[in-house]
Amino acid sequence: MGGFWRGTVDDVQAVARGWRWGRRPLVPRSAEPYAPEASTSVFPTTWARGGPARALREVVQVGGLTPLLRAEVSPHVTGLERLQQVGGPVLFVANHSSHLDTPLILCSLPAAWRRRTAVAAAADYFFDTWWRATGSAILFNTFPIERRGGAMSTTPADLLADGWSVLVFPEGTRSADGWVGRFRLGAAALAVENRVPVVPVSIRGSYAAMPRGRGWPRPGRMPVSVRFGDPLTCGAGESVRDFGVRIHGAVSQLLDEDASTWWDARRRAANGATPDASGPAVAGWRRVWAQTAPPVVTDRQPVWRR
Amino acid sequence: MSRPGFVLEVDDRTPPLVVHQGEGFRLEHFPAGTRVIYPPESLPGTDDVDGAIRHALANPEGSEPLAELLRPGMRLTIAFDDISLPLPPMRKPDVRQRVLEQVLTMAADAGVDDVELISANSLHRRLTPHELRDIVGERVYRSFFPAGRLTNHDAEDADNLLHVGLTDQGEDVEINRRAAESDLLVYVNVNLVAMDGGHKSVPIGLASYKSLKHHHNVKTMVHSHSFMDPDKSHLHHSAQRMGRLLAEHLKVFTVETTLNNDVFPSPYDFLLKREWEWGVRDQAAMLAARRGLALSPGRLRHRMFQDLRAPYGITGVHAGETEAVHRKTLATVHRQQMVEVQGQSDVMVMGVPYLGPYNVNSVMNPILATCSGLGYYFNSYRGQPVVRRGGAVILYHPVPRAFSQLHHPSYIDFFDEVLAESTDPSVIEAKFEHAYATDPWYIHLYRTSHAYHGVHPFYMWYWAAHAMDHVDEVVWVGADRSTVERMGFRAASTLADALEMVSTTVGRSPSISYLHNPPHLIADVR
Repeated sequence: MGGFWRGTVDDVQAVARGWRWGRRPLVPRSAEPYAPEASTSVFPTTWARGGPARALREVVQVGGLTPLLRAEVSPHVTGLERLQQVGGPVLFVANHSSHLDTPLILCSLPAAWRRRTAVAAAADYFFDTWWRATGSAILFNTFPIERRGGAMSTTPADLLADGWSVLVFPEGTRSADGWVGRFRLGAAALAVENRVPVVPVSIRGSYAAMPRGRGWPRPGRMPVSVRFGDPLTCGAGESVRDFGVRIHGAVSQLLDEDASTWWDARRRAANGATPDASGPAVAGWRRVWAQTAPPVVTDRQPVWRR
Repeated sequence: MSRPGFVLEVDDRTPPLVVHQGEGFRLEHFPAGTRVIYPPESLPGTDDVDGAIRHALANPEGSEPLAELLRPGMRLTIAFDDISLPLPPMRKPDVRQRVLEQVLTMAADAGVDDVELISANSLHRRLTPHELRDIVGERVYRSFFPAGRLTNHDAEDADNLLHVGLTDQGEDVEINRRAAESDLLVYVNVNLVAMDGGHKSVPIGLASYKSLKHHHNVKTMVHSHSFMDPDKSHLHHSAQRMGRLLAEHLKVFTVETTLNNDVFPSPYDFLLKREWEWGVRDQAAMLAARRGLALSPGRLRHRMFQDLRAPYGITGVHAGETEAVHRKTLATVHRQQMVEVQGQSDVMVMGVPYLGPYNVNSVMNPILATCSGLGYYFNSYRGQPVVRRGGAVILYHPVPRAFSQLHHPSYIDFFDEVLAESTDPSVIEAKFEHAYATDPWYIHLYRTSHAYHGVHPFYMWYWAAHAMDHVDEVVWVGADRSTVERMGFRAASTLADALEMVSTTVGRSPSISYLHNPPHLIADVR
């Protein structure tokens, strides 16, 4: 009889996990129905940048999110001084492999920048229900963008025009294996059209700390590094496509810099030998394996010399 | 609107998938990237089955209407598919009963007195009176059985067999004498899969061993690519030659019916759905079924499964000249079962369920489990097999060393004596087949009891010959180790172990395809 009850518990656990009890059910990607271009219905988020919502966000981010984040992971932030080169709104462009990325960047920014930064979030994921949309808008100052080829919401341009900086993940979704995917051109186009500089940001270790599928970071305060790069502006005669390539290159270089040193990364970049951020063409498991190892932070010097 | 067949690629969002495993099923996590081949959803059945039958009999393909073929004083024989079809058996009334009642009503109206009904069981076991009644219905049974006019075909009754002739390739055509000497033979079929029906009905269902051995042999079976694709099946080519010869001597009026994919009644209908679409009710029904089965003693579990009756819908009724009818039947079967699949895989995974054609109301013994997996499911393809040549097959079934003494006596000896010496179909055929086929005790049991013919286990082994020739490895998950070892296969405890075992053949990152049936499907491998 003991075996029966053990089997029952196993079965119930298997079903609870497999069918995600208490969470949003998921459809395997290959079984997702063909979705014709959805008509864009932008969730109103203007209220989230009003006085009461900003006050609430400040309390939640400073009093709750930042301590919680530091309790769960060990962030290492560099390059913030580069923000001094620009004054006005910028487009933060980062690689994306975890739900940790948004809070990591926001909590890394100086308070003045953080308070004036909005986050572009997938309309079909973060804005599919009112409670998820409201929650993410309050917590992260998100606004919806269509990532399935639909017309981009007009909100990002309006925000930049109003003096808000915008955080964009040009991959469109979290990386499946931790390596950097193809950058879509929306971010570059947005920067060109609105004549704002792009600040490249690299994030290493967030996939190892909380990959896709996990709802909470792995225990053990995994190290995560966030590195801000020099602001980029679109050159005269430079096309959006070329600018997009340059942004991707800048993020790749930051990742290289984070993994080695600024000098070595710089020399590799000068020789066109920056490692491919999309990772090596090896078996899937090896790609995941490489990215699940916590990053080694190279430029942290011991306080006391031995 | 029924959705067509579908090939899923397993990813991190995919819930565990149902795999049938004898009298039970398990939830299995497949490696990411595994292709899962799902059959099309059930086509809607016709609302007016009797109307469809009436229309088919009155407007046949390539033949006069049935009513015009019936006349007083004629000899009318009606043969019908036996209990091996459909699987699972059909919820009453059986479609054969519906057809038979209309044919007999027409015969009565036309004043036909000399009518006999024959179950076309070939070398299968005789049906019990109860089983006959389930198929033909109470009214037909009461009218014909007591008078000895509703019988099982006896392939060993020399006096009641007629050698009709030889085909152009020298194949003996010998069938039931009563059927052969009738003015009209009406054949009532249930076409569950593409292998059934057409010229496979009369020349095989009513044949003798002498006739059957021309196509039920290793050479023919290995070169039938596949049984589910009659155009490419040597077995069907042979049956076709025999059928055409018969048609020169005998007027055959064929009635073929096709079924949809509703093989599981409520509350087991969750087995017909795609797992990620299971609602709370389906999950609860699955858990209840799993735990109920775990708690049930073996006999009760066996009873529960054997008592399942499928609420099939009828998707088509066609009548008339055999080949014209069968073309239409096949089109309907393909519409219900065909799934397009791109390319072959290194590994093919199949769950073998509790039922095959030869263990209705009986036991799925190891030979029948092999036949179901490597014979029928492996051959459920058109074009090329789902698994590449030299690949591996992984099957799920407990494969207990259990046999029915009543139904499968020759299987026991086949397992103990023949397989102990060789598992090679060609060697077995050359060395043992004749002795088993002509053994007086097996013949006696076949004719007077309810035993399958002595040669039947050989045929089951031959059905699997194409698969054995095609793949290098066969591993059974969850099987009795010594039993599968006797059959020349290997056993594994889990899918991971099975993949580990076949890695020497297909490597460590093989492409895998899982055939998600039942319900039945045909993989159209491009």
